[in-house]
Amino acid sequence: MSLDTKRIVIALLSAAFVLSLLFVQWMEVSRRREEAGLSEPHVAVPASSENCVACHAQVTPGVVDHWNGSTHAEKGVGCTECHRADPGDADAFDHYGQVIAAVVTPLDCAACHRDVFDEFERSHHAKGGNILASLDNRLAETIEGNRAPFDPHSPTPGMGVSQVNGMASVAIGCLQCHGSKVALHATDGGKITVDELKPGPDGKPTDLQALGRIRKDANGKPVLHPDTWPNTGIGRINLDGSLGSCSACHSRHDFSPRRARQPENCGKCHLGPDHPQKEIYEESKHGVAYRDLRETSMHLDADSWVLGRDYSAAPTCATCHMSGNVRNGGRITHDPGERISWTNRPPVSLLMDTDVNHAVIREADPARRAALTTDSWQDKRNRMREVCSVCHTSDYVNNFYKQYDDFVVLYNEKFAKPGQDIIGALRANGLLTAPDFDEEIEWTWYYLWHHEGRRARHGASMMAPDYAHWHGMFEVAERFYQELIPQARELARRAADEGRNREAAAVTAVIDGILARPEHQWQGQ
Amino acid sequence: MGSVSGWLGERIPLRGAELRELTNEPVPYHLKRWWWCLGGTPAYLFVVQIVTGILLAFYYKAAPETAYESVRYITEEAAFGWFIRSLHKWAAQLMIAAVVLHQMRVYFTGAYRKPREINWMVGMTLLVCTLLTGFTGYSLVYEQLSYWGATVGANITDSVPLAGGFLKSLLLGGDGYNDHTLSRFYILHAAVLPVSMLLLLMVHITLIRLQGVTEFKFKDEPQGESRTFSFFPDHFYTELIIGLSLMILLAFLATVLPATMGPKADPLTTPEVIKPEWFFYVAFRWLKLFSETAAILSMGFVLFVMFLWPFVDGWIRRRWPASEASVWIGIGGVLAIIGLTVWEAAVAH
Repeated sequence: MSLDTKRIVIALLSAAFVLSLLFVQWMEVSRRREEAGLSEPHVAVPASSENCVACHAQVTPGVVDHWNGSTHAEKGVGCTECHRADPGDADAFDHYGQVIAAVVTPLDCAACHRDVFDEFERSHHAKGGNILASLDNRLAETIEGNRAPFDPHSPTPGMGVSQVNGMASVAIGCLQCHGSKVALHATDGGKITVDELKPGPDGKPTDLQALGRIRKDANGKPVLHPDTWPNTGIGRINLDGSLGSCSACHSRHDFSPRRARQPENCGKCHLGPDHPQKEIYEESKHGVAYRDLRETSMHLDADSWVLGRDYSAAPTCATCHMSGNVRNGGRITHDPGERISWTNRPPVSLLMDTDVNHAVIREADPARRAALTTDSWQDKRNRMREVCSVCHTSDYVNNFYKQYDDFVVLYNEKFAKPGQDIIGALRANGLLTAPDFDEEIEWTWYYLWHHEGRRARHGASMMAPDYAHWHGMFEVAERFYQELIPQARELARRAADEGRNREAAAVTAVIDGILARPEHQWQGQ
Repeated sequence: MGSVSGWLGERIPLRGAELRELTNEPVPYHLKRWWWCLGGTPAYLFVVQIVTGILLAFYYKAAPETAYESVRYITEEAAFGWFIRSLHKWAAQLMIAAVVLHQMRVYFTGAYRKPREINWMVGMTLLVCTLLTGFTGYSLVYEQLSYWGATVGANITDSVPLAGGFLKSLLLGGDGYNDHTLSRFYILHAAVLPVSMLLLLMVHITLIRLQGVTEFKFKDEPQGESRTFSFFPDHFYTELIIGLSLMILLAFLATVLPATMGPKADPLTTPEVIKPEWFFYVAFRWLKLFSETAAILSMGFVLFVMFLWPFVDGWIRRRWPASEASVWIGIGGVLAIIGLTVWEAAVAH
């Protein structure tokens, strides 16, 4: 090759190299535009999902459309990556040559998001499905409905109803937040759940006999029980033994980080008379600021969403309980309990010293309590302080916590513990029957702590004065003085009328003892 | 202008004629053939690695808690981070391939023979350094496969008779993978090995300049007295064309097949399949064929013989002057390397 030819080749190659750098520049600009929401993201359909996408774009276009807007689509995570199943899985079936399962569990998500899975599985959220022994559960299963199906008492014109499903309120109410125990129909008419399948740590069933009893439809697809599926409850108990449903917060199939950052997302469950966190937040200064600035300063679409760096206009539920902030190095957690120092769920609030199993410690002896504690309430509070201190001084934060602690302790000491003592005295002396909710005072007490008491404490925890006071402590006080005490005295009087003087006197002594305390003396003044 | 060059000339007393003398080394005529111009390719890629490596080092944080996140930041957030990381990754792959190809060319043409034995040994050391740089660099990402690859690599080192424990401890900074391991890998990858390679390259090139490039004659060339041509501009243009082609190839690979990230390292979960980078497939397959100690001793022996090959070859040729043993041994070796690599790539375990 002559020198002149070489010079021409060098010139051409140089031009090609400059063009390749311009192409790189174009790619970078496109990427930035996508990140800033100025252009549609590029969708990468992996080869294994091409057939799924092509077909479902016709039969369920919404699913494909949602997925097209997801980060998964941008990163080339398709249908089979999440829905893939092993032939030995309980809910696996062949779907046009691919073995898949309809229910995607946290264990499936853990294939890529292992850290998130580990955090979530130890959280209180993951245990939401364990409501079998709770009062809420009795309300829905027994009082609102009936554990067994029963016959209708008159026809439903237009629909042939042969049996009434007594668990309907549970299935569409409680379990849609708490999570169902996912079940497959069995060939003998029963249900097959995780209890029968006995999955190992890898989620594979170990009871092959149970596997053999799964009812399948004409296409060989295992039939999911409609009382338990569809369900995106946060504590869903899955067939593979994992707990929870990632789509409870990260709605399928777009898994939008933007949505998970918004309080409306949590509002599916955290609202209403018993724990109106969503409404409480909206009333607080935090919620007011968020409502005002959400479209201008919250950067909800940003890839990185670290408080103090990417935004600081207002905190949302996610900001305080889960997201990263500049004080903690941007560390996100999927265990919202990591930053909560009081549990305001039970009748009497407890400090969140937790043990090795992440359970709240009830031990009162200080030495034994300290020995059991692996993560103290102070540790948790300090994590929350990191969030607060991005915008507030330490004096401000400390004084807020003093106000909050004082409020919770006031509720505990003036109403919750006394209420618990009165109900306890009634039970101990046989003035209440064994079943819950068959006597007026049991409803009264339930309203006091479960509805009004929680509203008050949650209102205080999230700086919503109207909920702390008018929807909270005011109603607690009214319920206590105007209903609980009179109803307890009435039960004691009736017992005395029936000749059960000792029991009546014991209950009356408890009530009088409580009302003789200085904080209740206002009545006699 | 004249005053500036006069000022510079006083302080840097180099004249144009001396510069021409320095750059215009006579180049043997066979280097007019393109395939014989690839010796500079690894050096060129080495420069790419240094430049992209420095840019990556601005963001990389060598600690188990931060390494993966910093690589993710480079890949997903830093401006042009994905491109620089992809260039670094692909230049590494090409550099290893280029070093191996260069060494094969030197071997099969007998260019290591007297008086170039020492340069062959310098080249062998450069090969080992290149492979070690690849190994440590792969481990820095701190993803699941790279973490377990490093763990397996360290365990293999542990099996070296007598010195194994010490070597493993030297590599990991302790008995097992610990908080100091990543920073150790990082210092090896970004400082110790590149500086060593730079010094070795200087020796390598100096020896080439002192001894001259081995000359070859082809049948279609005029026989007789040796012919040469000037380094500048003729050979320089050739190298420039190769360099530009490489840059275009790298840019193509970096944009079409950019560097990705696997799941973050989880020291508590061993992946079902652990595979090193492709250039260690040979060693990995060899280890699976024999007991660990036998495999390591045999690999060490092969490496030792390769290192001293000019002298072994000299002894063979003195003993059997007509034999072409080195060619047949070389063919056998290359087939074994290709066979073991393909075998390891084709099977899951």
